[in-house]
Amino acid sequence: MSKFDLSRRQFIGALGATAAIAGLAACGNTGNTGTDTPSDSTEGTDTAALVGSISCSGATSFQPLVEKARDAFQDANPDVSVAISGGGSGQGLSQVAEGSVQIGRSDVFAEEKLEADQLEGLVDNQVCIVGMGPIVNAGVDVTDLTTDQLKGIFLGQITDWSEVGGTAGAIQVIQREAGSGTRATFEAAVLGGEVAPDSFRPVAEVDSSGTVVEQVAATAGSISYVAFNYMENDGIKALTVDGVEPTQENVESGDFMIWAYEHMYTREDEDESTAAVTKAFIEFMLSDDFAATVVEEGFIPMADMQVKKDADGNITAA
Amino acid sequence: MANLMPKRRLENIGLGITGFCVALVALVVITLIFMVAQQGLTTFFVDGLNPIDFFFGQNWIPEQERYGALPMIVGSFAVTLLSTLFALPIAIGSAIFVVEVAPSFGRRVFQPFIELLVGIPSVVYGVLGLYVVNTFVKAIFGDAAPTGAGILSGSIVLAIMILPTITTLSMDALRAVPNQYREGSYALGCTRWQTVWHVVLKSALPSLMTAVILGMTRAFGETLAVQMVIGGVERSMPMGLLDPASTLTAALTAGLSNAVSGSVYYHALWSLGLILLVMSLVFIMIIHLIGRKGAKANG
Repeated sequence: MSKFDLSRRQFIGALGATAAIAGLAACGNTGNTGTDTPSDSTEGTDTAALVGSISCSGATSFQPLVEKARDAFQDANPDVSVAISGGGSGQGLSQVAEGSVQIGRSDVFAEEKLEADQLEGLVDNQVCIVGMGPIVNAGVDVTDLTTDQLKGIFLGQITDWSEVGGTAGAIQVIQREAGSGTRATFEAAVLGGEVAPDSFRPVAEVDSSGTVVEQVAATAGSISYVAFNYMENDGIKALTVDGVEPTQENVESGDFMIWAYEHMYTREDEDESTAAVTKAFIEFMLSDDFAATVVEEGFIPMADMQVKKDADGNITAA
Repeated sequence: MANLMPKRRLENIGLGITGFCVALVALVVITLIFMVAQQGLTTFFVDGLNPIDFFFGQNWIPEQERYGALPMIVGSFAVTLLSTLFALPIAIGSAIFVVEVAPSFGRRVFQPFIELLVGIPSVVYGVLGLYVVNTFVKAIFGDAAPTGAGILSGSIVLAIMILPTITTLSMDALRAVPNQYREGSYALGCTRWQTVWHVVLKSALPSLMTAVILGMTRAFGETLAVQMVIGGVERSMPMGLLDPASTLTAALTAGLSNAVSGSVYYHALWSLGLILLVMSLVFIMIIHLIGRKGAKANG
């Protein structure tokens, strides 16, 4: 895979070189052809030819990971600059659709947020997977919930821990804010399209996973959901779902169902001046070299996934 | 320098520069109002949302395309009124003390002290609110307030935030009461408290009202601190002071990062912004009305 990518990058490099030569040729100097082409065949140094600056905005959930990739990528390509900003999935998607950034990060498929006409020309680059699971306050004496029980809790039908095998006590549901990618993923996997009745009120709707962890740790009887990389915190406890542990292996095998792609959307018709850099950066995010960092940051690399999900949430074997 | 320049030219330059400043401010304000109104009205004129459903709808659930702003409108007004209610007696009380009882202590110690409160960034109030106020509310009310987040906590934090605004303006209002009024009252045999109550407070009333309205404006517009302590629940109406709720500003900030520009959700958020803008215009108009009335009353 990466071999093929390298050759494609070389191809672009060669294109660039040829264009430069064509420019020179126009000045009447054709003798340079031989001296310029060797750079194409030099293994590994082809990226040094990359020049340009791109910007990438959108989802904050995997921004730290992208920033790490940026640092390594810029070290390898000193003439490249990648500007990274936040703003949320919605902003990332609308900005890449407008063409004001080269890469728009999103936690959800663009189909869920954009209109059909805005989708035109967008390329979905899935760069890694994020697994999510339910967490409870450490004082809750339940360790496993079935998907049906989770659904009942988040629809407001199950309101006491005794109904799911715990000590009696009110279940305090803490939600992410409306429109959050984490919430969309969790609800798609757990609620199966059902919506909570209007009368159902969570005790809080918070706008970041860090705050979720704090609130769950501080609130007796509370339940919420976070990405795997937030689960190792004091005062909270991750639950198994249908007896399956929330781990990378279980997501890869398809046994653990609550996960989503992290997307980096680009444009098909991106300007030539930046297209090569954008492409190389996304290939770097997907490269085997970077996979270790992906795991370190709590995400799951694409490479070992045995299942895949489409925009409608259908899971099939990869 | 000045006498090297013809007087007329100097006048023109001065007029030009100051006029330009005014034009710039006017331009900014008009652009701002135009932008917010244009985006905010799109919800009703282009996306076809019924304004009645928007203003009186009791559920704000964007994923179901339901945009009822009433929970946030109620939330905003509830925290604004309650926080003013909490802050007002304390503010007026301390203003009376430092103006009528201990003026030099007021000027040298109390005033810098209270002005310090103004300078503290709202995120600090938010963090303190989250860890102190919410914890207290949770401890006092137990299961009725499982996280401690809610309208009550939001109002307490806001009360602390608007306290300096109301206090300093009240102090100025009391100081502005002419001393002859007090002397006249004493000459009639009134005690200090009779004077304060019947003379000073009464004649300072219009300015005190302005102080209150300015405090309310600040409370209405405050975002970050409230967002951190109120719980952020937008989907339905809060049913009590301990219920988690949301405010217009909090919903706006929380929503904007998730909304795609051009979508109905995005426009609906701008409509919330438009409500905020209109409300601040209303507050300003009230202040002007009071000012005019006060001027008339004082002859």
